[in-house]
Amino acid sequence: MNPILRRILWRLVAGIGVLWAAASLTFVAINLTSGDLALTILGGGDSLPTPEVLARVRAEYHLDRPIPEQYIIYVGKLLRGDFGESYHLRIPVTKAIAQQIRPTIELAVTGGSFAVVTAIVIAVLTARRSRWVRSAASGSELIVSSIPAIVIGIGLLLVFSFYFDLLPSSGQDGWKTLVLPTFMVAIPLITNLSQVLRNELEEVLEQPFITTARARGLSDAGVRLGHALRHALIPLITLSGFIFGNLLGGAVFAESLFARQGVGRLMSTAAGNKDVPLVLGVTMLAAATYVVVHLVVDLLNAFIDPRVKTT
Amino acid sequence: MRLAGHALVSRAAVLCAVATILLLGACSHAPADEAQSTPPPPAAAPPFVSYPASDYQERGPGRDGGTLRVSTPIDAGTLDLNLLADTATKWLGRTIFDCLVYLDNEGNITPWLAESWTVSPDGRTYVFKLRHGVTFSDGTPFDAEAVRANLARIRDPNTRARMTTAYIAPYVDGTVIDRYTFQANLQEPYSAFLNVLAQSWFGLVSPKQIHEDPKSIAEKPIGTGPFVVERYRRQQGITLVKRTDYAWPPPFMKRRAGPAYLDRIEIEFVAEPILRYVGLAGGKYDFTTDAPPQNAAAIRRNPHLVLSSRVNLGNPVRNPTFNVTRPPFDDPRVRKAVALAIDRDAIAQLVGFGEYRVKTDFLSATTRYYDPAFRDVLKYDPAAANRLLDEVGWTGRDDEGYRTKAGVRFVAEMITNEAAAPTNSTVAIKSDLKKIGVELHLVQLPAPQLAERRANNDFNVSGGGYWHTNTPDGLFIVYHGSQLGQNYRGQNSSGLNDPPLNDLLTRARHSSDPAELRDLYSQAQRRLTELVPVVPLYENHTIIAYGRHVHGVVHDTSHNTPFFACMWIAEKDR
Repeated sequence: MNPILRRILWRLVAGIGVLWAAASLTFVAINLTSGDLALTILGGGDSLPTPEVLARVRAEYHLDRPIPEQYIIYVGKLLRGDFGESYHLRIPVTKAIAQQIRPTIELAVTGGSFAVVTAIVIAVLTARRSRWVRSAASGSELIVSSIPAIVIGIGLLLVFSFYFDLLPSSGQDGWKTLVLPTFMVAIPLITNLSQVLRNELEEVLEQPFITTARARGLSDAGVRLGHALRHALIPLITLSGFIFGNLLGGAVFAESLFARQGVGRLMSTAAGNKDVPLVLGVTMLAAATYVVVHLVVDLLNAFIDPRVKTT
Repeated sequence: MRLAGHALVSRAAVLCAVATILLLGACSHAPADEAQSTPPPPAAAPPFVSYPASDYQERGPGRDGGTLRVSTPIDAGTLDLNLLADTATKWLGRTIFDCLVYLDNEGNITPWLAESWTVSPDGRTYVFKLRHGVTFSDGTPFDAEAVRANLARIRDPNTRARMTTAYIAPYVDGTVIDRYTFQANLQEPYSAFLNVLAQSWFGLVSPKQIHEDPKSIAEKPIGTGPFVVERYRRQQGITLVKRTDYAWPPPFMKRRAGPAYLDRIEIEFVAEPILRYVGLAGGKYDFTTDAPPQNAAAIRRNPHLVLSSRVNLGNPVRNPTFNVTRPPFDDPRVRKAVALAIDRDAIAQLVGFGEYRVKTDFLSATTRYYDPAFRDVLKYDPAAANRLLDEVGWTGRDDEGYRTKAGVRFVAEMITNEAAAPTNSTVAIKSDLKKIGVELHLVQLPAPQLAERRANNDFNVSGGGYWHTNTPDGLFIVYHGSQLGQNYRGQNSSGLNDPPLNDLLTRARHSSDPAELRDLYSQAQRRLTELVPVVPLYENHTIIAYGRHVHGVVHDTSHNTPFFACMWIAEKDR
């Protein structure tokens, strides 16, 4: 059998295992924490449900059954492709996620791409440069990465939206609404990514083959882009895969701050409400995304560096 | 219903200072206009608060056209208002829906979609004469059958309403006497019945939608209101457009019988208070349904903005709630001592930035039958608090200065909502109690666990107490013994079950005689200052703010909800 095909197949089998584990762990975690689920579904301490309403909810969601039985009911439904209905929104989980997924993908693609490209540019420009260039770069990276993302977001809003009135502060119609959220999610990523990439580049730039390349008369830019960067690609792709996987799971602060729809806020609200079907649905989506992203990263790495195949 | 305070990070509050500085440059001289911001409450507050009828009525015809851009803090995830209980969603009820009845500025019931009604002498049968010619936005006529279908839906446990079912618990069923005559049958007299029907949450939905596609109410509810839903994007916003054939506002409002002035309302969910403020000051929004108190002073100073603050009817905000069934707070003297020790002026100032009226008794100063006679009983008095605790026997002191009895320190566990940090009021209460030698141990819990422990009476003290409703019957919901029980999850979280109080509140619920009601509620308020199941902190306020170009802003009489059909935008749009 074609080794690449076998690899993909094996990854998919493992992926199903990952999904099952993710669903089970989430189910256990939600049920381990105490709290009256029926009351929570009806608005928690901030509501006034009658005893009959509570009883109806308990029966409808099988909350009166033992936890293992609830688990079997849940997995059984899952196997039939039924993710159930959100307790809180009372719409099918698939619909709830579908309503929020487009803005999430948009922001993940723009934020992730911007972060990766900018990090590459910064790392290539600053690796093995004079001491003050590197200290300035890594120093500012350290400072920026210590600022909470929400503060970066509010800062961006106040300056570019409210003071200079250049960009909209909220919404999701048109490319302009994407700019500030993109910066907000990308800035913290850039600082981490460029640090890792610079270290990687500096290691490569010390290798003898770089000296050879320079001795052959290759320009500095040629060395950096053609040789060093190529060697640093594997950790970069692995990290980027992680970043995209993470962003596709939603960016809760950016979504909330810029009044955007998104899976992140959907998940945080669902977790707060103990909205079990919705939490499990988003978890499954995130796990599936990771499985796919890892598969892609794996294949890309094997393509870039044939030695990876043996691992 | 509950109040919702939502802030992603308290850090944002600090940043509003930055925003204020940034925006000061944008201000110029004030244009002349009739709308004035309401002033902050005076230091020596008069006992009653009342607003003139004209505050709730249309002052003159407005200009047609335009779009109002609104920010609001919370998306409930559904537009099916009958199912909800959040204060933050009440504005929905004054856009898409109408109610059967309306209140006047003094709390009397006035007509709306019901033109008149009679109540049987035993208080158990209500007969409503309905308005003719009203239609739902899907064309379905409004009639007695529509009212029956709505109340039946709210009453049905399968509807899973969080609050409205309980609010009409005495309602058994309805009889359609003729096309425009509806009879409501109650199992017992219930004096608050018409009051609750006047609330936003009892907005009427098309019976066609109820029967054919009840799930669609969540995203595209069909009401008789002045606006209809054009688009709803969860967590992002709602677009409403005006209904051109609307002609039935509440008569008390003295509004023209035509459609809304505004063509459209574009609502965005903006959870961060600072962004609601900055968005308003910067002109991105024309209106916010929830102006942050920390920015109220800046809004008043801003010549382009108007702030309107109102004290809501019913129950004031309380904190903390005592568990009266368990030591040490099973002794009313201990509860009273704690109430006396909490400096409520300081807390109101701290969390309300001078916007909140301090409260030391149990009904809001705007509520009918509020009796201010007992408002000094629980006034801040740490010396008296110390005397009371000495009297109870907490006379010892340990090396940290806390009181002891038989060698055991006075420690109480206070359960509160999980957050990045405890709320300012909670921290202030903890430090006030330390001064009288009582240690408060704060335990932050996730919402589901907090709800369960409150419901099971498994705590010493519980942070907060926000439930309020538009009638003095709010006392019944929060303090009556019938609101407890093994499977009951009511709002009587103190576990109070005091026979004399139960009797007063039950009799008030059954009475329809104003003189008797005044007497019963006065006695109940006096009894509560003896029982002290909670510590009243400050009034429940509705604070809205809007640009000066927005005119015709009136609050509704039930919950001070802005009534959007009256609003219009001046010619010179900004």
